[in-house]
Amino acid sequence: MLNQLALTYLFAQNSGFQMVPIINQLISGVGIVGILLLTGLGLAITFGVMGIINLAHGEFIMLGAYVTVFMQETFDMDLLLTIPFAFVVTAVIGALIELTIIRRLYGRPLETLLATWGLSIVLRGVIKLIFTAKLKYVQSPSYLSGNLKLLTNGEGLPLISISYYRLFIIGIAIALFLITAYLLYGTSLGRQMRAVTQNRDMAKCLGINTRLVDMGTFAYGCGLAGIAGTVLSSLKSVSPPMGQDYLVDAWMVVVTGGVDKLIGTLAGAFLIGESNAIIAFLLNDPAARVIVLAAVIVLIRYRPEGLFTIQKRG
Amino acid sequence: MTQVLPGQQKRTFPSKFALMVGIGFVIFAIFPLFFGEFQTSLMAKLFLFGTLAIALDLVWGFTGILSFAQGVFFSLGGYAMAYYLKFNLAAGASDYGGGLPEFMVSNGLEQLPWFIAPLQSFPIAMVAMVLVPAGFAYLIGWFIFTSRVSGVYITIISLAIASALNTLFVSQQAYTNGTNGLSDIAPLTLFGAKIPLIGLYWMCLIFTTAVLMGAWWLTKSNLGLILRSIKENEARVSFLGYNIASYKIFIWTLSAGIAGIAGGLFVALNQFISPVYIAVPFGTQVVIWVAIGGRGSLIGPLAAAIILGQIQNYAEQITQDWQLIIGVLLLIVVLFIPNGLISLIPKQSNQVTSASKSASS
Repeated sequence: MLNQLALTYLFAQNSGFQMVPIINQLISGVGIVGILLLTGLGLAITFGVMGIINLAHGEFIMLGAYVTVFMQETFDMDLLLTIPFAFVVTAVIGALIELTIIRRLYGRPLETLLATWGLSIVLRGVIKLIFTAKLKYVQSPSYLSGNLKLLTNGEGLPLISISYYRLFIIGIAIALFLITAYLLYGTSLGRQMRAVTQNRDMAKCLGINTRLVDMGTFAYGCGLAGIAGTVLSSLKSVSPPMGQDYLVDAWMVVVTGGVDKLIGTLAGAFLIGESNAIIAFLLNDPAARVIVLAAVIVLIRYRPEGLFTIQKRG
Repeated sequence: MTQVLPGQQKRTFPSKFALMVGIGFVIFAIFPLFFGEFQTSLMAKLFLFGTLAIALDLVWGFTGILSFAQGVFFSLGGYAMAYYLKFNLAAGASDYGGGLPEFMVSNGLEQLPWFIAPLQSFPIAMVAMVLVPAGFAYLIGWFIFTSRVSGVYITIISLAIASALNTLFVSQQAYTNGTNGLSDIAPLTLFGAKIPLIGLYWMCLIFTTAVLMGAWWLTKSNLGLILRSIKENEARVSFLGYNIASYKIFIWTLSAGIAGIAGGLFVALNQFISPVYIAVPFGTQVVIWVAIGGRGSLIGPLAAAIILGQIQNYAEQITQDWQLIIGVLLLIVVLFIPNGLISLIPKQSNQVTSASKSASS
């Protein structure tokens, strides 16, 4: 328990230095961190583990959101229940794409980049054909509406609060992060995934079905993007170009953190999300975005391997 | 594709290529006499887009640097021209406070900001049209290419640059008029007379031809050979004692300068520019023209920009899903025709091709 007197002093209106807006800003930063982690995680798999320059990542998020739209429109399903469907559908589409397109382009990163951009245009076009360009809205579950009040003033009005849905986003993001970390570092499947990326030929010699592992890894990364799509679908409207909003940010997260270790993605999301919130508080939102992007460019210039990578020899 | 054969470079200037360009120039020069105003204006715009594609091809197809920021340089040149023309209009109609454009007045600016004010003068605006994008590109190039950053990371940096500049131009309402961009501007005048559409068309045509010939000469020169070698094997070129960074910075800056002029002419033609041309989608559009037309060929990207633009003009009247077709086309080209559609045209069997065939096999 905090001393009531100290609290009063801390949050006094005339103390010159206002704590409440800063704390609120930090908390809203945590919300951004959740979104960034969620969108960056799938890319951390497809780019970080497999080295695929996936410019269609945003479109897999969009696909996940449309799965939710479809399930809600036809079966009136709860948003939480649509998560497994979003995962499975995007993962299957991802597997098919790996089988038909990505597989032909391993070892040629710039070609992969072009192909996935073409793919992103195609996916947007196909979804537009099926669902039309109309904006769709997703219902978030009623039990996730409202705010958690962390601190109230004398009249019971909230001073510091966070919405339950933001908490839910952060919870999902961290849960997926832990599951992915366990999958990669705790299971033999994850060991196979990492072995294939480190030395494909050697892995093959040891009897690993590298093609199957490639397909599975890519599908898993796409599935994660699909879950991100479901969770983010109720924040804004769902439309075919929605994935574009997340693409650049997801890339910045993965590049900042470094591609070797999954923990880099978490750190990258945290760093970008919080610095975004703090600069936005000091200046404004566009300025925050410009400054953070500029900082990431400088970072890539000096540490292209990312912040949280151990320096390799040779 | 990999025909780095120094011995094959013959100096026969009035070559087949020059002849082809000459014939093309004459055909397109009389083109407006047969087609209406709309087609003339569309073709002029597509020439500029084609030039933009050639400029990207110099850095990507020849030097191996894939950039999504080509639209940024295009727009910087465009904005320089647009400010000049805007002030021209505001000076004519002095209802607004002292020639200040209306969006600046409504956003609370009292006087012209110091960094925009010089653009009131014609010579400064013309110089800025080239130097601002080229200077910006030089700074970026100097910053990036002197490090060990390479390949994919440069592409990601170009994405970040386009995204950041787009946000900047959209947010600085008072200076740039935000998402609306600069419209309602005066037509370009020369010696006190308004340049007619056909004059602008010919300017675009001459500019495109000059860029095409210049790029052709450049890629055939020793410099072009070094650029292509950098694309093929960077380490080996640097072992031979070449300073790779300076070559990359040079071609990157040159490309940005060309893009800037294209942007300026585009504004003179369309009397409009907005952050749409800075953002990533327009940058990828340029990449798509080069990819589909054929990397490392100069005619390919130019032709792709013009032909795709023409088809799009008609296709959009029939179907809303033109972009889907482009996406499929891009996928097909990347997977099955990596040298672009131009490589499907059978080459005449002269010495160079037969030599390169035997060298590559």
